[in-house]
Formats: sequence, C-alpha cells, structure tokens
Amino acid sequence: MSAHKPELMSALLDGELKGLRRLLALRHARQCPLCAAEYRNLRHVRKILKANPAPVAMSDSPEFFWSKVKREIESRSDVQVELPSPKLAILDWLMQHQAAVVTATAALIVGVAALWALQTRKPASVVASHQEESPVQVLIVQTSSELRLKPVGAVAEPLAKVEKVSTAIPNTVATALDSADADVTVIWVSGLPWTPDITQMKTEYANLDT
Amino acid sequence: MRWLTLALVFFLAANAHAASIQARLIRASNESIETDAQLKDLTPTLEKKFGYKHYQQLGSQKASLGNDTSRRLDLGEGFVVFVRERATDKKTHDLEVEWTSGRASLLKTTLKIAEKSSVFIKGPGVGNDWIVLALTVLE
Repeated sequence: MSAHKPELMSALLDGELKGLRRLLALRHARQCPLCAAEYRNLRHVRKILKANPAPVAMSDSPEFFWSKVKREIESRSDVQVELPSPKLAILDWLMQHQAAVVTATAALIVGVAALWALQTRKPASVVASHQEESPVQVLIVQTSSELRLKPVGAVAEPLAKVEKVSTAIPNTVATALDSADADVTVIWVSGLPWTPDITQMKTEYANLDT
Repeated sequence: MRWLTLALVFFLAANAHAASIQARLIRASNESIETDAQLKDLTPTLEKKFGYKHYQQLGSQKASLGNDTSRRLDLGEGFVVFVRERATDKKTHDLEVEWTSGRASLLKTTLKIAEKSSVFIKGPGVGNDWIVLALTVLE
C-alpha cells in the first residue's frame, strides 16, 4: 500500500475496512505522513460535526410525520426485503471466536497425539517371505499370516516384513519365518560352516569366501 | 494465540525424531554361561524362538538411520553388519541389511520393520551353541 489513498482513510474512520485491509490501512496511516494528516483532518471534521449537529426543521408535526411513516410501512408490508448479512473477514472471525479456535486446536492436538500413541502401540502379526537371489539355492516361503486377524477383529499390522533374503555362501539357505506367537520375524540361515569354538569361528569366517 | 503457536511448535518438534538401529551379536547356549543383563529385553523372545537357556551378548552397536547412507556396525568376532535405510513411512523403516564376516557376505536382506521391533537372524553354530544376530529399530 504505497500510493496515497485518502478514501481509504475515510473508510478506515467509518469502520468500513475489516481484517487484513484494516490492518494494512492502519499501518499505512502510521507510516505515511500525508495519509496520517488526512486521517487526523477527517477525524477532526467528524468531531466538529458530531459536536454541532445540524438543526432539523420538520415541515410536519411529529404526529403527522409518524402517521405518514406508518402508512408507508403498511403499504410496503407485502414487499419482500432482503436483509444484508454482515460478512466477517477470517481474521476478525478468528479474533471473535478465540475460545472456539483454542478449543478446536487443542482437540486436534489431543486427537493427533492419541492416533500417534495408538500407532506406536499396535500389536501385529508378521508376514515373512523369502526369495533366494544366489544361484546356489532358491527357497520361497510365503506364510498365511497376512490373513490372520487380531482377536478384536481388526486386521493386524506386521511389525516386520522380510521382502527379500539371500545368502552367497555355498550350500547355505536363508529362510524368513514369521512368528505366530512372539510377534517377531526370524531369518534362519542353515548350512553355515560349523566350528567347535569362537576362536576357530573367527578364523574360519574371516577367511570364508563366497 | 501466541502460546497456541508455541504449543504446536513444541508438539511438532517432539515428534520430529531420527530413529536408530541397534545390532546385537548373541551367543545362545545351554551351558552355564551367565545370562546377560544387557539382553533382558530380548531374553523372553529369544527363549521362545530358539529354546536355549542362556543368552550372552558378544557385541552391540547402534547407528542412526536416515540420509540413505550405509551404516557400518562392528559387532566383534569379525562380524560386521551394514544397514542402509531405503525409505521410511511414519514409524516403519525400509532397510537393506548385509551381515558380513571378513570378505564373505553371510546374508543380504531387505525388510520393512516398525520402530521398537526386532528381527532375529540365526547364524552359525559354534560347538553346541548358536550365534544369533538381533536387529532392533529404536525410536
């Protein structure tokens, strides 16, 4: 709002501006000396007019005037009048309904927190599948746990799901197994070289070739 | 209105976190090795799944997930685990895991795992014991 708009000052003084437009006009009035002067002048004029109202000269007596008004009202009683509904800017609405906004936001936070807590606590079944990539051996295991339901009736979410598993050690098979009772997935690597103790295992596995 | 904005900011900040992964190398045995207190969160599941009486933690490492970079977790006894997070959806992490020893790749897997969940990998046999790798995604 860089240009000087005296009509904006008038509208501001008359209370016609709402929300963001009002804030911007107020800010402009504070920053622009010309518009600030215009605002002060208008306010001064309004003050004078308010202090010195124009004398009203009535041509008719108050009783006769009221009878004319009454007749006019009666003659227009059939005419449908559309009453203007006041429109509020979002900012004004929010300012007027602060309590409602705070309550709604608090409810939203509580809802999101509850959802988050439920998600982290969800018990689940485990689905495991295995696909051997190595040319040595191929074994595919697909369990039926995908169809398993929780006792309460909701579909169980797997805590872990093995998508692919393979081993490059000759004569070795890796199999992913789901757990029906412990909610864990186990990958079973069978056929790995056996050693009598940890020291020998270290030596043998350090030199293991694939 | 200002306090409300602050509350929202705090709420969102509290939820914005980076998950991490913990890899533990475990020896499962029936011999009288001391049951490891570090494994008390996993022991009931380990007993149920593998049936051994005692579980000993041989090595453990944690790394934060994210940024699509591969994290190296040295677990001792020559075993190394590489973990790369491919994607994350809410509290589920799409991971690429490779368990290696020396130059050999013992196992490669891609899996989707929820936070606070574990996956166990049964590895080599040592004497009458088993080596188990436990991967847990932490919040």
